[in-house]
Amino acid sequence: MSDRIRLAAVPFLSARPLTYGLEQGLAADRFELTYASPADCARRLSSGEIDLALLPSSRLPSLDRAVDWRVVPRLAVSSEALPVEFANEHTLGPLSGTVGDWRLRTGLPFVSQLWVGRNGAVGADQADLLMQSLEQGLVHLRDLAIAFAEAHGGDPARYENYLMHGLSYRLGSEELSGLGAFLEHLRLAETTSPPARGPTRIRLFEFANLRASPKLAAQPLARKKPVVPGLDALLANAATGGRLSSAEGIHLYEKASLLDLGKAADERRRFLHPRNVVTYIIDRNVNYTNLCVTACKFCNFYRPAKSKDAYTLSRDVLAQKFAETVAMGGIQILLQGGVNPQLRLDYYEDLFRWTKANFPLALHALSPEEVSFIAKQEQLSIREVLARLVAAGLDSLPGGGAEILDDEIRHRVSPLKCSADTWIEVMREAHALGLRTTATMVFGFGETSEHILKHLERLRALQEQTAGFTAFICWPFQAEGTRLRLSDDTTAQRYLRVFSLARLYLDNFPNLQVSWPTMGPAIGQVALRFGGNDFGSAMIEENVVSQAGAVFKLTAEDIEQRVRATGFVPRQRNMRYELLPVRREAILLASATGGVAKSLQAGA
Amino acid sequence: MSFAEIKDKVRAGEPLGQGDGVALFQHPNLLELGLLANEVRERLHGQRTYFNRNMHINATNVCVASCRFCSFARLKGGDPGAYTLTLEEAWGRLRTRLEAKDPITEIHIVNGLHDGLPFSYYTDLLSGLKRICPTVHLKAFTAVEIFFFHQHYGMPVAEVLRRLHAAGLDSLPGGGAEIFAPRVRRKLCADKCDADQWLDVHRIAHRMGLRSNCTMLYGHIETVEERVDHLLRLRALQEETGGFQTFIPLAFHPDGNALRRLPPPTGVDDLRTFAVSRLLLHNIAHLKAYWVMLGLKTAQTAQWFGADDLDGTVQEERIYHMAGAETPQSLGVPDLVRLIERAGRVPVERDTLYNILAEGSALLPSQPFRRPSSRALGVSA
Repeated sequence: MSDRIRLAAVPFLSARPLTYGLEQGLAADRFELTYASPADCARRLSSGEIDLALLPSSRLPSLDRAVDWRVVPRLAVSSEALPVEFANEHTLGPLSGTVGDWRLRTGLPFVSQLWVGRNGAVGADQADLLMQSLEQGLVHLRDLAIAFAEAHGGDPARYENYLMHGLSYRLGSEELSGLGAFLEHLRLAETTSPPARGPTRIRLFEFANLRASPKLAAQPLARKKPVVPGLDALLANAATGGRLSSAEGIHLYEKASLLDLGKAADERRRFLHPRNVVTYIIDRNVNYTNLCVTACKFCNFYRPAKSKDAYTLSRDVLAQKFAETVAMGGIQILLQGGVNPQLRLDYYEDLFRWTKANFPLALHALSPEEVSFIAKQEQLSIREVLARLVAAGLDSLPGGGAEILDDEIRHRVSPLKCSADTWIEVMREAHALGLRTTATMVFGFGETSEHILKHLERLRALQEQTAGFTAFICWPFQAEGTRLRLSDDTTAQRYLRVFSLARLYLDNFPNLQVSWPTMGPAIGQVALRFGGNDFGSAMIEENVVSQAGAVFKLTAEDIEQRVRATGFVPRQRNMRYELLPVRREAILLASATGGVAKSLQAGA
Repeated sequence: MSFAEIKDKVRAGEPLGQGDGVALFQHPNLLELGLLANEVRERLHGQRTYFNRNMHINATNVCVASCRFCSFARLKGGDPGAYTLTLEEAWGRLRTRLEAKDPITEIHIVNGLHDGLPFSYYTDLLSGLKRICPTVHLKAFTAVEIFFFHQHYGMPVAEVLRRLHAAGLDSLPGGGAEIFAPRVRRKLCADKCDADQWLDVHRIAHRMGLRSNCTMLYGHIETVEERVDHLLRLRALQEETGGFQTFIPLAFHPDGNALRRLPPPTGVDDLRTFAVSRLLLHNIAHLKAYWVMLGLKTAQTAQWFGADDLDGTVQEERIYHMAGAETPQSLGVPDLVRLIERAGRVPVERDTLYNILAEGSALLPSQPFRRPSSRALGVSA
């Protein structure tokens, strides 16, 4: 009796195919099954009264994060939309609107139930029995529908149709991604009130004989070169979402071959984004001022206060730029400037309110450097500054100014910029207020592998606590015309190496954006095969890197063509990386304004 | 044919077939392709990446052919932009280069098909260059030009080659192959010699002991099957003569020509083409990533997708720059050395015939790296 595995399942119709075999007496000596409400299932699983629960995914956040929760591979209930009973069962807050269009919004299936237990709760043979239970259920969907109609009323044919065509019972990589997206939505909905609970990552039970799918197994290649010990295992682990230590990251960065790194990063990207979608955003980079007291050595853009070229854009100019942005299909303004002491907090508050009152544009504005400067200037805490900016209309923060998050490097190249700690602190506060932000890294300042890994580690650690970063973007510092005399590090080899390592190391970052404005569209495309899933912004305007020798510009149409030519489906997104409905007019507009070539779509 | 089966074939040294080639071009995993091509590349050349010191002379852009992918040719002398160098001007290019203490080992000469020049223009051009610098290797005239000389001056191909060789010709560049499929040639370059004629010129040259290169112009209207067919025809001739040294995939650039409505080359297709070429052309030793055409970054990356050569210092390149290539006009040896080292390979200076001239400390870049200025190129986006 005591060696039987105790199971609890929700009594929903949709879950019945999974428990059918067990109900019919399959392996009765191995399992003991009871039905309970979702809340009860979660409670009993937490307390240890049961070993395994067929749990609604919405209950995952109520589990204790400290426990190593695992999910039985291959088995789940999923659908294209949020199931009706699911929406009724749980207060989903902002999610209730997605009942009908989950697939449309995310491009992913919705996973509603799955088998969850503590690590070690089941072995490979029990997992196989659970699979058998489902297989028996799948050939008896009609019986299930009839039994459910007898017990609860309703039309058995409708139930059967729902079981047969409305649901899927597989847990593959697409479903895992869908689950990840759902948990992300839940976290977002909760960021303002109780802190996020529950596991931050979905991990599967690992069984010796199921361990790695053949694709991921270490390559039995007869290699000519001696292989650095452990590299293949490290890469295979990282490719499946396993966490790398700093030392392992350094080892991979220094020792793994470019293509091995890229291949593992590509596998990881495919796991996270199995729909083959590459996203981009239409926004405008507006640099409202170039007056800057930070005087970073690598910057060609800024002007000191007494320079006759120093500017702060007037409302009229801004209004024109914003109106153009809206007209060209842009949905957001990326507003960044120099650190200009003549502008005070009320300038930004007025500017944001005015923007929101007049334009349907999201404000992705002010990097941590600017925020921390305003805080100092106003003698306010970072949180107070951010709260006031949010009240005035700020939607999210760009992750610029991170450079390398190590004070040794920062002192050398940007001595007046905020410290690494301050940068992280601003991001932490922003995330705590419910703002999403991006994170960046600029390399090529003569930093070591340790510096790069330190940077990635700081980002990953904060993401672990806040889950507030949407994406990571990196690029090599552009040397031309700046005051830094450093070796040129803008080669593709270094970029792709750093980029693919970042995809593997930042296991809790959902998105990696390729930097075609600095690397060129061709390497941007290649980077999509080295772990990237976002093609950045159809740039209407950009002033900073183009002052340092990067000359690339692409319209939305160019981006779509280039993404398609690489074998991906381009989709427009917003700052939160939610897919926007496919909008033809954006493409038409881009071509009307004279994109490089108009008939590209036909050729792709 | 699955990728695993193809991989086994490659490892066993079996030639791949048409179906294998198509499967490779369609293989979704670019990096798996790259890794396999890299295996072959490292088996052949280890960590070396070759380059040479060369200059280009495009003596005339007057051309009787009107290929739709060309931004270089001007149809008649006197058309705006048309030029033909006098022999003195052409020789002067070499003198200038030598006076600048910028030694070269090779001159690459490719021209339009000019119907108003005597044959002696070409023989005098070669012998004059050799007089100025007897040691320089003259890699001149594509098979298309040789065939044009044959028709225009009424001499057998072998006689054209013999006379040019006597005047100083050392080898043939690989241009003008485009895509062999008649369907494509009819649409793109109907005035050019056909595939058999192109291959014949090289066959005859090889039999005379001249080495040559070969190319493929991809990324326009050709199909994957036509690419594979092209590569296999090159391989078949190589099987027969062994005279090809290097294969150079050339990406079609759409600016300034009749095909400008086609999409620009994609980085992924470039790398894929390199990898598949390396795997299909098992009997051609070298694969060149021509940086002028690919851009420096893609050319570097191609060193991991099968390529083992970056071309040379190149001066005065006209053809690709008139089609919108955004690369510098030339690079110094220290630049090339640095680019190759930054790509993670070992730079080796070669001559045209791949004799090693310098490697390791002999190449030490004593000057600081000069980053090619992209703004100085007058890019018109």
